[in-house]
Amino acid sequence: MIGVVRSELTKITSLPSVLIATAVLLLLAVVVLLQPLGMLSDSLAGMRPDGTIEFFTGHRQQAESLVLGLLVASSLQPGLFLPIIGAIIAGQEFRSGHLGVSVSVVPRRGKLVVGKVIATALYALAVGVVLAALSTLFMYLGVRDWNPGILWSAEALAGQGRFLLYAVTATLIGFAVTLVARRTLVGIIAVTAFIALTMAQVFAAVPAIDALLPLSAARNLLLEPTTNVLSASPLHGAAVLTGWAAVAVTGAAVAVRLRDAR
Amino acid sequence: MFHGRDRLQPLRNLGAWVNVITITGLSKRFGSNKAVDNVSFSATPGRVTGFLGPNGAGKSTTLRMLLGLDRPNSGTAHIDGVPYSRIEQPLRSVGALLDGAGPVPERRGADHLRWIAQSNGVPRNRVSEVLEQVGLSHAAKTRVRKYSLGMKQRLGLAAALLGEPRTLVLDEPANGLDPEGIRTVRTFLRSYAAKGNTVLLSSHLMGETAETVDDVVIINRGSIIAQGPLADVTAGHSSLEEAFFALTGGTQSERW
Repeated sequence: MIGVVRSELTKITSLPSVLIATAVLLLLAVVVLLQPLGMLSDSLAGMRPDGTIEFFTGHRQQAESLVLGLLVASSLQPGLFLPIIGAIIAGQEFRSGHLGVSVSVVPRRGKLVVGKVIATALYALAVGVVLAALSTLFMYLGVRDWNPGILWSAEALAGQGRFLLYAVTATLIGFAVTLVARRTLVGIIAVTAFIALTMAQVFAAVPAIDALLPLSAARNLLLEPTTNVLSASPLHGAAVLTGWAAVAVTGAAVAVRLRDAR
Repeated sequence: MFHGRDRLQPLRNLGAWVNVITITGLSKRFGSNKAVDNVSFSATPGRVTGFLGPNGAGKSTTLRMLLGLDRPNSGTAHIDGVPYSRIEQPLRSVGALLDGAGPVPERRGADHLRWIAQSNGVPRNRVSEVLEQVGLSHAAKTRVRKYSLGMKQRLGLAAALLGEPRTLVLDEPANGLDPEGIRTVRTFLRSYAAKGNTVLLSSHLMGETAETVDDVVIINRGSIIAQGPLADVTAGHSSLEEAFFALTGGTQSERW
């Protein structure tokens, strides 16, 4: 199995489109992270004795909770595009009959799918760690004169841990949907549609349903409830995201196992 | 004319299945179209078996079922007595080149071979060895989209040879090769089989293949119409091509 995972990792890292998409995502992260830096420094400079700052106009809140919230939220924004990377990773199998080559060298399809899932999860984890490191670095530039140690607190590490869970599950959802759809573009459209459902607040009036959408679950998992309207708890968000990934990957495994490798 | 099962009888008696390809009653439908209909034949060690027929006859579909890529509606396909899908690290025993199953164009040739080698625990140095063997060392770092058809074919052959297998299954290996490349492949396959290995190759080019094979299996419209040693199948005809047209009841002009 280790050999299969290694080979799948080689497939991922030797495909220019995956590397380009990852580079674009990281560049986007830098742009997103640069924006609030000045505002955060100014807000922290105007901190009151009770430890509150005004980062959002007219809304005072504890500096600690705001910084911790920003730390994770700034990872999530570029992380929204992680499912697209998953779609590109899976979509390579449907170009030039590549799936035929993959199945001919690893004919046990269950083993092939497990290898692909592990490799994709590892790649997503690596990208997630880089995103988390970037958000920590940029946040450090904003808080270094106040309390840089907050970035290594248990709460901060827990928040980044929740982000890594999101990074892996979101990438696997895009990956698995594309394996079922058998086309990269269809996979990208499908995951974009899921994102749009939350962004357009289609189910906002029914929080119980809204909380079952992948992006809503990600918001519930990662965002600070004092500054965001959320539809469920972080634990609920984690369960929904994990459930989506598990169901999608299972569906993809069944599809790869039953269909002709074309 | 031999039947595949008869030729295997000595091996059955010995309980030996080494490198033997056996296809029994294989059928495949795509909707209402019966692409492969009750196909049975075998390929034995030490011989090059040509699987011949016109385009669309069912050659590739049969080989895809042999390699576990397509699911048959009925029948079995075994290598060394077991389905291909049950072989652990199959590259070490079976090398395959399939028409219509190739590398992602954006990937470098050497990277394509590297992931294949890793998947079956084949040592990394084999990548450069097989690239050298097929004359692609100079293009190892070139992306496959820049390869000519012949270079892509040679890359596929390199992938088939990675694990130093005892059995080769090659679907239209001469496609895109220049005359020198075709001659090189022919010489290679002859010497490969002479070492006791099994070679099953498909082709629609009967004249060319007749110079390479020991045994032939001819398929037309999904059904086997003749099989046996080349000399037996072509007996009474001036060439394998003539034998084919006589067997199918067609002429070259009709086919155009």
